[in-house]
Amino acid sequence: MNNALRYQLASYCMMLKWAIVSLLVFSVKSFAVDISGLIQLNYVKASDHASWLDEGTGILAYSKDGVNVQQAFVELSDSFSNGLSYNLVANYYQLGEQNLGISQAQISYKPLSRSKLRWRGRVGFFYPKLSLENVDTGWLSPFTYTQSAVNSWIGEELRTPGLELTLYSPGRSRNSPISFELHGSLFKANDPLGTIISWRGFAMHDRQSLNNDRIPFAAYPSVIAEDRIFHPNYVEPYHELDGNIGFYLGAHIDYYKQSTLRYYYYDNQGDPLAVSDERLYAWRTNFHSLALQHKFDGRTRILAQWLSGSSVMGTRFVYIDFDAWYMMLSHKYKNHRVSLRFDKFKVREDDVFEWDQNNSDGHGFTLAWRYDLNKNWQIGLEQHLNENSADIRATLGENIQVDQQQSLAVLQYRW
Amino acid sequence: MLKLILVFTLFSVSFFVQSNQISVNVLTQERQRVGNVVVYLTPKVSEVSAVSTKIEIMDQVNTQFSPHILAIQKDTQVRFPNSDSIKHHVYSFSQPKTFELQLYKELQADPLLFSNTGAVELGCNIHDWMLGYIFVVDTPYFGKTDIDGKLTLEVPEGEYQLDIWHPRIQDDLSVLSRSVSLPVESDVEIVLFSPLLPDVNQYEEISGEFSEYE
Repeated sequence: MNNALRYQLASYCMMLKWAIVSLLVFSVKSFAVDISGLIQLNYVKASDHASWLDEGTGILAYSKDGVNVQQAFVELSDSFSNGLSYNLVANYYQLGEQNLGISQAQISYKPLSRSKLRWRGRVGFFYPKLSLENVDTGWLSPFTYTQSAVNSWIGEELRTPGLELTLYSPGRSRNSPISFELHGSLFKANDPLGTIISWRGFAMHDRQSLNNDRIPFAAYPSVIAEDRIFHPNYVEPYHELDGNIGFYLGAHIDYYKQSTLRYYYYDNQGDPLAVSDERLYAWRTNFHSLALQHKFDGRTRILAQWLSGSSVMGTRFVYIDFDAWYMMLSHKYKNHRVSLRFDKFKVREDDVFEWDQNNSDGHGFTLAWRYDLNKNWQIGLEQHLNENSADIRATLGENIQVDQQQSLAVLQYRW
Repeated sequence: MLKLILVFTLFSVSFFVQSNQISVNVLTQERQRVGNVVVYLTPKVSEVSAVSTKIEIMDQVNTQFSPHILAIQKDTQVRFPNSDSIKHHVYSFSQPKTFELQLYKELQADPLLFSNTGAVELGCNIHDWMLGYIFVVDTPYFGKTDIDGKLTLEVPEGEYQLDIWHPRIQDDLSVLSRSVSLPVESDVEIVLFSPLLPDVNQYEEISGEFSEYE
């Protein structure tokens, strides 16, 4: 280890220590408010292809080797006797444009009920519960660090400031092994959803976008040139550009706590002709998502998710159909968890500008081992490999086809 | 031969009189043993029984109530600790005890007093699959059958009303109730008329492991 790296590591450890001490003091002072949080420090052996976060064309988050704060967030939550509760997740990210911000903030109402069919609702800035991968606090995956292509995209571009109502029936209240939930939501904003996968393509990472975030990508000439599409080489995914109200519908079915199926249909109802002063477009994006999980026993589970949809901007300046899916096997043995995931993803264009190339595809393998030292500390290793192609790289004189790999060693503290 | 049987029977009865035990077996029509059934003997001649000073425990472990069924004597206090690292919101709409209790992961809630008899069904407003019961009886003579459907109790001589309860029993419980006289009747077999409600205890086997709904 060289001196610079040792110094960097020491300074991160000091930051971690102060953050933990500050939060412990805060949690003692603030009675009843549930304060939880998590910090992940990593050492990454990065791919040699620069990340979109550094305006490169790679689909992995890190551009260079080194020590990083991978995740850091505090979650404040509380619930009250009347069924009201709230939670707020405030994050720090070392990577990306907005380093401090909010990733989720919601107020929920779930009245106490003895009925077999019940309801609940929530308002705020939140994720639809379409992922079975992101079930840890802060919408993280407890399985791998580098998340699936499907949910990497959800995390970076999709969040709904809106209202969600849920009808649900817990199976145990009916003495039945089957539980179900029906979700419906109306929301504003999230109009530029679809931008990043149209030009960069799908990526695999755990960088969630924050409340005012801007996601950069490479300065493709066909995108940024004034005589071309004339769009900045970034997207701010949570803007309201057209005044339209989007919606999603979802259904969950559970067999005991063993098998789960979740279906969602999402449509942001964007007006593809709406464009902002900074030339961000509203993209009309809709998709279907189907997620499955089966636990063979308390230790081994299989997860899968399939996402399929389309997005259009302008008068078909860009039109894409996209498909992505993953399958993951995860096994827990004592304090060890080993997870192996295969991802496949594809974007195909059918639009008016031949010079703006949107076809991209790829597949990847992610193998992670995570070990709980105790209830607070965890260590883990991950190896990720992918092969991906994006036709638009040719406009920058790059090879269309790229093979990437990334190794991570991660130290995690949660409280 | 008849004399010999009579002598043997009387000898057996006298043996159980000395032990003052009653053994209760609960079976289905198919002779399958029913475990975890609350069995309680209420003296026909009311006696002044000491108020229980013991505090019983209904814990939350791996997002399940533990035990699934807790039998207690009337006027007993029950503490609801939280052995999970996440919050629970326990509630009951049952007539004998209606309450709701926020169980923070690091704060101990005060125990609750159960002064009315009957079944108290417990749920959690955060984890909808959690289900537990507190069954309150007005007698110090009670227990739960083991996995062989059997319970043995030490009871003073006298006349009792024997009752059972379990959430999966569909029969009218008053039909299953019977008078027993100790020490004459020391071995009681209760056979249910109707089949049990479906067994959904698989909810207890694989629970949610992570903080978000899985």
